[in-house]
This record gives sequence, structure tokens and C-alpha cells, in this order.
Amino acid sequence: MTALAELTRIYTDRAAAARGGPVYGYVGADVPVEQLTAAGVLPVRLWGDPAGDTAPGDRYLGKGLDPVARSVLTRLLAGAYGTLDRVVVSRDCEASLRLFYALRELRRVEPELDLPEPYLVDVLHLPHRTTTRYVRARLEQFRDRLHDWTGTTADLPGAIARHDEQRRLLAEAAELRRAVPARLTGTEFLAVAGAGTVLPVTEHLDLLRRLLAEAADLPEHTGRRIFLTGSGHDTPEVYRALEGAGHLVVGEDHDWGDLLHLRQVGTGTLTALAERYQHNGPTAQRATTRARAAHTAAAARACRAEALVGYARRGDEAPPWDFPAQRAALPELPAALLERQEYGRIDLEGIR
Amino acid sequence: MRTRSLASAAAAGRYQREWFAGLRERVAAGEPLALVNADVPQEIFRAMDIPYVVSQWWASLVAAKQRSAHYLELVRERGYPDYTEQYNSLTLGAAFDPEPENGPWGGLPAPSLVVADATGDVTRKIFDLWGERPGTTFYALESAAENEVPVNWWDLMPHRWEEAVGTARLDLLTAELENLIRFLETTTGRVFSETRFREVMALVNEQEEWNRRARDLIARTRPVPLDVSEGIPAVMVPQWHRGTEWGRDAARSFYEEVRDRVAAGEAACPGERARLMWIGRGLWYDMDFYQRFQDEYGAVFVWSMYLAVAADGYLRYGGDPLRALAARFAAFGDQLYTPPWSAEWYVKEARLHGVDGVVHLVSDDPRGSYFTTRALETAGIPVIEIEADNVDARGYDPDSVATSIGTWLTETVLPRTR
Repeated sequence: MTALAELTRIYTDRAAAARGGPVYGYVGADVPVEQLTAAGVLPVRLWGDPAGDTAPGDRYLGKGLDPVARSVLTRLLAGAYGTLDRVVVSRDCEASLRLFYALRELRRVEPELDLPEPYLVDVLHLPHRTTTRYVRARLEQFRDRLHDWTGTTADLPGAIARHDEQRRLLAEAAELRRAVPARLTGTEFLAVAGAGTVLPVTEHLDLLRRLLAEAADLPEHTGRRIFLTGSGHDTPEVYRALEGAGHLVVGEDHDWGDLLHLRQVGTGTLTALAERYQHNGPTAQRATTRARAAHTAAAARACRAEALVGYARRGDEAPPWDFPAQRAALPELPAALLERQEYGRIDLEGIR
Repeated sequence: MRTRSLASAAAAGRYQREWFAGLRERVAAGEPLALVNADVPQEIFRAMDIPYVVSQWWASLVAAKQRSAHYLELVRERGYPDYTEQYNSLTLGAAFDPEPENGPWGGLPAPSLVVADATGDVTRKIFDLWGERPGTTFYALESAAENEVPVNWWDLMPHRWEEAVGTARLDLLTAELENLIRFLETTTGRVFSETRFREVMALVNEQEEWNRRARDLIARTRPVPLDVSEGIPAVMVPQWHRGTEWGRDAARSFYEEVRDRVAAGEAACPGERARLMWIGRGLWYDMDFYQRFQDEYGAVFVWSMYLAVAADGYLRYGGDPLRALAARFAAFGDQLYTPPWSAEWYVKEARLHGVDGVVHLVSDDPRGSYFTTRALETAGIPVIEIEADNVDARGYDPDSVATSIGTWLTETVLPRTR
């Protein structure tokens, strides 16, 4: 089996891959997975299911919230991720924070639901020293809490080095999709990156190295090269629909894709880790419209995109605020914004 | 005996108009103007005598004038969504108005400073857009969260706020406020006086203590001497002026008027049969709503968060005054919207006021609403949820809402009060 096939198989059945203990589920790319790896636990990023029932999640979180969070809560209630020892939640978006609050309160008032213990890592993002100090203090608390839970003495520099290598190799894989013609589709890249959110980092590194070694044998892909901005995509349905309609997603600015590998830690210290996560992004939910526009324009050009597609999921309120500036920053590209899209679906009529 | 209109509310309304006219004159004369979010520590601006307008207050005014759709259309025309966080985007619409002088009360002057905390996913973006306007600078504050919190914040906040809020959040906001003061000194040329700041902080505590007395008196008086639509302006206009002698005295006048009504046996709803609680932001475009159920059902709204959070949410004593100010705002929203704080507080307040039923406004932004409703129902208090946005009247059907509440009163609430 080729490395791409193996990565795709793992991504397609992420629940099966997320085995072996202890397993900590995590929500959002602002969770410093390096600390989890260093503590000897397997970090498994939680994802939703657009085709699944969200009624339990809707009940606790309300229907106005991003359906990804509602689906994740539904799946946690159903035990769909297997045995999770704990759930670590970040502030990557408002929906994640509400999910944390719901988990915390449900543990208090409805303990019979037997939900895993949640923990919030409150990484904030304003580009100021005051925020750096705060994030570092929060990571110190998280480090101490992990020590209490696992009893292990963490090898943080080693874990940072491995995750930095993972990001470096993912960036190389991203180049395969940016190439003309592309050697990876957007759907395939989503799987290459997504497999790494459930595998031990060393196993993902092995597969990434094999993928890059096999790159010359990968088929060429053509299609209308689009840069996808807006909501994150924790599942592949929207990418599949786009690419099934003749588009090729050559880049994106969400953290299930290219934003996952954008920034390295560099130094094996807690302060460097705090700075990496403080400046993580720029995601739609946490960055300024100006930062988003600058990033999107540069990334779309680097991808040699032929069109800009904005995708805003119903309940994910931030992306539509970015789009006017993003469109203005890329005057040479046709651009369209698809607002209030249903989870896992896309109205392709809007970009014909 | 049915009550007369509240003199303190009328006086607050007159004061607010005069104040706003004066503010427009000051800005026209070249003074700075700050537009701030409600959760921004306004006491710093007060101490430095920098005029400010609270974004949500302006939005409530626009909604009350039935102008929401106009301003949201201006937001939409520029390519931005008109369906998210209307409480802040509505005020942004004022910035896009080609005829700003046609706005309420002569229109909102262009601010030179905007200050907001980075709550949610959209607030910072909206204020960013303000900051991109010529002559306007945006200063952002973080919005931080805590893992574990003691439930009984209302007991702890006045004196043990460090324990309630947590050191990490207080360290952060205190440092941000130190920087904000330097920023304001540099950009406005105004001086921050520690002595003046302490006076402002003391005045705020005095004002909220008067509100606390009024809340306690209303809670224990049957029939209730005033309904929430009377009380909200008498509380909130002074709240936007907290830290002034006028604000403190207005809160005292409000208390004294309530006390006199109680002494005279006056009632908002003389045939009071059911005491209702309104959970959620004020329904600014339909304030008559709050009196709609009195004549037919004997049901009167005795509680809204505006007086209650003034009574419980602002008092901060002791310690370094800037850290105490940080403690007022580092977790302000949690008091109202984050369980367990919010849910347990609403139950505490419902019991204090002898509430028979709760009308719970649930918008598209349902912050902790399940847990609020659950806690109240677990405490044996009936709850009806209504779905609406508090400033965006599009899609609001007053008759349908009134019918639902009438049915609920008849079938669920009133039979329990006999």
C-alpha cells in the first residue's frame, strides 16, 4: 500500500486509528499537542460528522452555534471516539469555548452522562507581551496538570522537535499540491494532514517521509485551481464536492489544512511554545480582517490559484467579515462567497 | 393603587439627552471621543475625563427608534453580514451612514478611539473595521477564560474577587489596563490621576450599593412596586454614567422612589398574580412587551438582569484599585452567560424575588441557555424560551410571542399560583 493510500485509510477511519492509551481527545488547533506528546499520551483531535444526528449537541449548545461543536458534543455523548481519558479544549473559536463550558457543566449537573473530564487551555492571540505572559502561564498550569495526571516527566524539547519536523514535512507535502500540475488533490491533502491528528507523531512522520519519497509516482491532477478561505473543514465532504465538480483545492487558510503547518516552534522551551500558539493562524475566528486578507492574498498567489472561494458554514460567524478585504486584496482573481452553508455541504451553484 | 411613571427614570432620560448634546459639542470642539464595548473598564475613561459612548447603549437607542433595519442594511451594503452580532454591528452601521446627522439624537459623532474586548469570534473584527476608519484607533483587550471557578461568585466578588476570578486573568487584564492608561495618556494628552481614579471607584461602589438596596427591596415587596420596563432606564442610564456624582445620586433617587412607593402601597400591577423574570438582554424595540401581561393575566415582570447585575456584579472593595477594576470586568460576561455562574445566579435571584415563571430570551447566540433553563426548572420554576434578537426586529412577531406566553401563563404558571 502506498503511503498516500495508508494516510487516506487512516483519515477515513480516524476512530479506529485513535487507539492505545492513554488517549486524550482535543478540540481545536490551539491545543499545544507538543505537551501531550511530551507527557506520553496520544493526542486525538476530535472531529464531527455532517451526516450524523446532532440533536443531543443541539440541546445543550443551541442551534445557533457552529455545527461542528454540536456534532463533537453529540459524538462525545455517544462514545463515538472510543475511550478518551480526557478532553483538552482550546479557545480556537467561540464554539470550542462553549463546548468546554457545556462539558464542564454537564459533568457537574448530569454526571450520569459519564463524559470525560474536560480541561481548557486558554491560548489567546492578541500580538502583545501581556498575552504572551498569560499564555505561558496557562501552558505552565497545563504542564503541571499533565504531570499530576500521568506522573511522567515530560520531554518537551524532544516533542517540540518531532512536531516541528511534522510541520516541515507537511509543508513539503503541501508543495506537491501547489505544483502545476498538482500531485495531490485538496481532498488528499486533507487526509495527509488529518491522519496526523490521530496518529502518534512518530508514525505520522514515517508515513510523511514515505509519501515524499513516493512523490514522483503520484498522478497529476488538473482542474480549476481554487484557494478556499473561510470555515475549517474537519471532514472531507466539501472538498470532495468541489473537486468532483472540476475544481482543485490548491490551498486553504484553515487549520485542518495549510494553517496546521505554517508556524514552527523552533526552540524547545515553554516560552517558544507559548509564542507559537499565541501567533498561530491567522484563522478566521481569531485574526484581524487585515491579517487575514494579507495572508490569504499571499497564500493564494503562492498556490497559483485561479479563483478565490469563501466558504462560511452556518453558525461560523467570522468568515463573512473577512471576505470583503480578502476579495479586495486579490483583485486579479474571480471571487465568490458562499454564506450560511450547511455543515458538510456546499452550494456549487454559487461558484459556477 | 397602580403606580405613576417613575420620576427617576424620566430624570435619567432628560439627563442623558442633555449629556449627549453636550458630548456632541465637546467632540465638535475637538475633544477625543471613545466608543467602547459594555465590558470595557470605562472607569479609566471617567477618571481621565475622556468622553465615551457605549456601543450597546447606542444600539439600544437605534433599536428603540425602530432604525435597526436601516443600519444593518448599511452593514450589508458594504459586503458584511447583517445577521451576526447585531448588538455591535448595528453601531458600526452608524459609521457607514452617509447622513449621520439623521441618526438618533443628531447622530453618533465619529470616535477617535474604539476599545473592545476580544469576546467571541466577531467582536474584534467589528471594532477592527472601526479602527480602519481615518482618524480612529482601535485598542483591543483580551477576553480570557478559567478552568475551574467557585460557584458562588455573588458572595465572593465584593471582597474576595481574586478568589472568584483567578490570578491569571487578573494579572492579564491589570497589565492590559496599565498599558491602556499609557496609551490614552499618549494619544489624548490627558492625565491619569490615581487620586481621581480612587474617587471614581468609590463612587461606583456607592452607586451599585444603592442599586443593591433597590433590588433587595423590590425582591421582597408584594405586589411589586415597579415593573422592569420602568426600572431599566432608571438603572441603566446611571450605569453608563457610573463613577460620577450624578450617577451615584441617580441610583439613590431611584432607591428612594422605590422605597416611597412601597411605603405608599403602590403596585405596578395591583392584582398581581404571577411574578415573572426576564432573562436576556432588553427587548429594546418593544419595551411595551414587559407590561403586556399585567391587565389580562396579572403577570408582572419583577426582574431583569440590569438591576440585578448592578446589585451583584459591580461591587469590588479592597486591594489595588486597578486590579479591583480588572476584577470587575475580567469575568463580567461569565456572571451572566457562563455556567455554573450564570445558571446558579439566576436560580438565586429567582428565589430571592419569589418568581413564579421565567421568560427566557434565546437568540441565535445561545450562551449557556440550556443550563440556565435546566437549573431553573430543576429548582421548580417554569420557564418559557422565546427566540428573538434583542436589537434586530426583523423576524420578530410580537403577537405570536404574546400568544405563546399567554398560553404558558394560563396553562402552566397561573395554576401553580392559586
